[in-house]
Amino acid sequence: MNNEIAEKIKGMLVERLRIPEDELEYDSELFGEDIGLDSIDSIEIIVGIENLFGVDISGAGATREDFRSIETLTAFVEAHKED
Amino acid sequence: MPMNEKRCVITGLGLVCAIGNNTDECFESALTGKSGIADVKSFDTSACYSHKGAEVDSTNEQLANGKYDRTTALGIKAAGEALADAGIDKDSEDASDIGVILGSCIAGAACVEKYYNAKVKGEKGDIDDLKAMPASAIAGNVADYYNAGGITANIVNACAAGTLSVAMAIDLIRGGKGEIFLAGGCDSFSSLAYAGFHALRALAPSDCSPFNHSDGITLGEGAGVLVVESYEHAVKRGAKIYCDVLGSGVSSDAYHITAPRPDGEGQMSVITRAVNNSGLKFTDIEYVNAHGTGTAKNDESEFLSLNTVFADNKDLSVSSTKSMTGHCLGAAGAIEAVLTVKALTEGKLPPTTGYSEEDLKVLAEKSGNINFIANKPLEKDIKYAMSNSFAFGGNNASIVFAKDPNLLNLTCPKQELYVTGVGIVSGEFDEESGSFVAKLDTDTFKSYGVKSAFLRKLDRLSQLQLLSGLKALEDAGVTVTSENEGIIGICIGTNDGPMTEIANFQKGIIKDGIDKGSAFAFPNTVYNAAGGYLSIATGIKGYNVTIANGFQSGLQSVCAAAGAIMFGYESIMLASGTDECTDIDEEMYADLGLAGEGKMTLGEGSVTCVIEKDSSATERGAKRYAKIAGFSSTRDTAGDRSDNTRLSEAALTKAIENVLEEGGVKASDVKCIYGFGNGIPEIDSFEKEAYKKIFGDGIEVKLVKKDFGEARAASSSLQFAKLAQDIYEGKFENGIAVSYGTSALYSAVLLTKA
Repeated sequence: MNNEIAEKIKGMLVERLRIPEDELEYDSELFGEDIGLDSIDSIEIIVGIENLFGVDISGAGATREDFRSIETLTAFVEAHKED
Repeated sequence: MPMNEKRCVITGLGLVCAIGNNTDECFESALTGKSGIADVKSFDTSACYSHKGAEVDSTNEQLANGKYDRTTALGIKAAGEALADAGIDKDSEDASDIGVILGSCIAGAACVEKYYNAKVKGEKGDIDDLKAMPASAIAGNVADYYNAGGITANIVNACAAGTLSVAMAIDLIRGGKGEIFLAGGCDSFSSLAYAGFHALRALAPSDCSPFNHSDGITLGEGAGVLVVESYEHAVKRGAKIYCDVLGSGVSSDAYHITAPRPDGEGQMSVITRAVNNSGLKFTDIEYVNAHGTGTAKNDESEFLSLNTVFADNKDLSVSSTKSMTGHCLGAAGAIEAVLTVKALTEGKLPPTTGYSEEDLKVLAEKSGNINFIANKPLEKDIKYAMSNSFAFGGNNASIVFAKDPNLLNLTCPKQELYVTGVGIVSGEFDEESGSFVAKLDTDTFKSYGVKSAFLRKLDRLSQLQLLSGLKALEDAGVTVTSENEGIIGICIGTNDGPMTEIANFQKGIIKDGIDKGSAFAFPNTVYNAAGGYLSIATGIKGYNVTIANGFQSGLQSVCAAAGAIMFGYESIMLASGTDECTDIDEEMYADLGLAGEGKMTLGEGSVTCVIEKDSSATERGAKRYAKIAGFSSTRDTAGDRSDNTRLSEAALTKAIENVLEEGGVKASDVKCIYGFGNGIPEIDSFEKEAYKKIFGDGIEVKLVKKDFGEARAASSSLQFAKLAQDIYEGKFENGIAVSYGTSALYSAVLLTKA
């Protein structure tokens, strides 16, 4: 996993979605019991990632599984990021 | 006479929206399917995926005199038509009694944009814009414009606000708190709402298509105002009567801050409440003007609700006029109420427009028993019509209009009301900011079972509100269960509402672009988000209203909560006053020249009191702090009506006289006043002199703001709560809490020993 990308995604989630930093691990279930995100949060994540990496994860076909954790989001961004 | 036997009638209509400049024009357009939706002109939408809106083709100068925010200007325009239609001259005696209850979602959003455009550039914002930003300014300004001297309220329950305003007018008339009201709603087109719904991906890519393609809303703007009047008052002045307004319902989903419950439970609950409150059967309703926004979530749940609750009704027609007017947010329910009254009285029902031949086939397959009127109007002689609104925060409201008043046969005996719980969140003096700031920590919320996953969504105002609500329920010993969730309600008062969220959202889109609004932040920009979160966190599914009406809003919430119990809606109400103090608030009050050395010291907090009817308190064996012996709001139009910060000794005196009369207590027997003095010398000496004239020299006046700062609506609630606690502790047997609002509005509540 690309730690630099993961850290940026984590920072974005903490800032945009006010998730307490100490409760957020790279493998935390974002939409499960752990963090409890919902559909509005997913829209915010899409915009946050587009702003950070220029990757339109919605248009690039991200699935529910890709939104599961910071790890899966990082992998998706890595695979679709244009350097 | 039992209160609900008091007939309420509609005697005047006013309407302005994208399909017309007056009621007749709008109704004609609605019947002929003329849409007001076009490309947005107010601002540049080129970066957005949608470019449609339903804007009013008139300038602020054409709507009013150009001195008001556009939301207020739209309200003034519709209110003027309604008054003229009702045959009321603004300088006549009839006008002096008229109250003004207006709904709004986005309030002075046009001025918010203008003010922060200047601020972001580092310029000084225009003070007039600052004054026009909060919803608190709207109803008072409209009332002052027309010399209407009755009480005012701004109902800020997002897209249900217009319907709730009419509902509240009926309650006030039946409760003997007024004879005639201008009731409705107004909202302007705004970059704030456009960016917000764009961020949520809730805008339709093209014209909205309710109950059809359901791919999003099209925003609109406008105002609808109805003259709601007691039958006796209307007859006495020889007024033309359109129809009766029979009853209303208000409910909460307790589910999600933006989405309706998919199972339609809250919507069915509100329809049932309105039908019962009107003394009708489900089979009596012949037309429903649906909420019908055009989002998939709304349309699916509304289809389900209507088909379920009206399953035995074989003669029901339904349409959504939003297909032509766009979604006018806080004005929507009021605009639809006006169109519903016209449909009922003229026997012509407007359609939902925009169906192709193919669409009509699909509609026929999914409509069930219900006749969804599509494309063309339906001529049908009907007696009963309903208009429904469902809002962010899970707030639902429904009203019923009737050509035939005779079926109304409800009784509603006067209830004895008690304060049975108190929850206080107040600030402590903070040297750094020079304000009184409340401590909010995650552990306190955790101790009440609030998970951090939920708490993180709440803005500061909502967190303050949630905490005081939870404390009050705990203090009252009330546990919300499936048995009592529907008989507990919420009434919140606020002066500034979520102005911090509004300002930050607006500053964000000024900086990043209208297409870059935050989907996470937008839901918290609506004034009723705090009430919505309280309902979601506690499971409370009853009445839910938020009133933004100056510093006295915390006391007006007690008055409204008392009303909600007296009309049999609920057994237990949470009555709150809440305002926050953030950098944004401090900057606003400094810019207004109200905070600082020798002026008021800002504070923040939330105070919730549990108000309960006698039978419920007895059944639960509840602790009774005090009895609510009288409550009253009064206003005065004397003096310079262009100054909405004017003081009125006459109105203050009248509010106190009213509660003394209602409670059967002599002025000489009153032991204590919890007053509103806040360190501004003019206000403090005005208050002192007024009390001296009413009560003499010996009256004890307690001022909470010395110790907690000017926390606005939270302060007026705190005055009430402290008074209740003092009486409970046996310090004295009675007392009055008094506060003041914009446009010379005063509220007073008399508490006596339980």
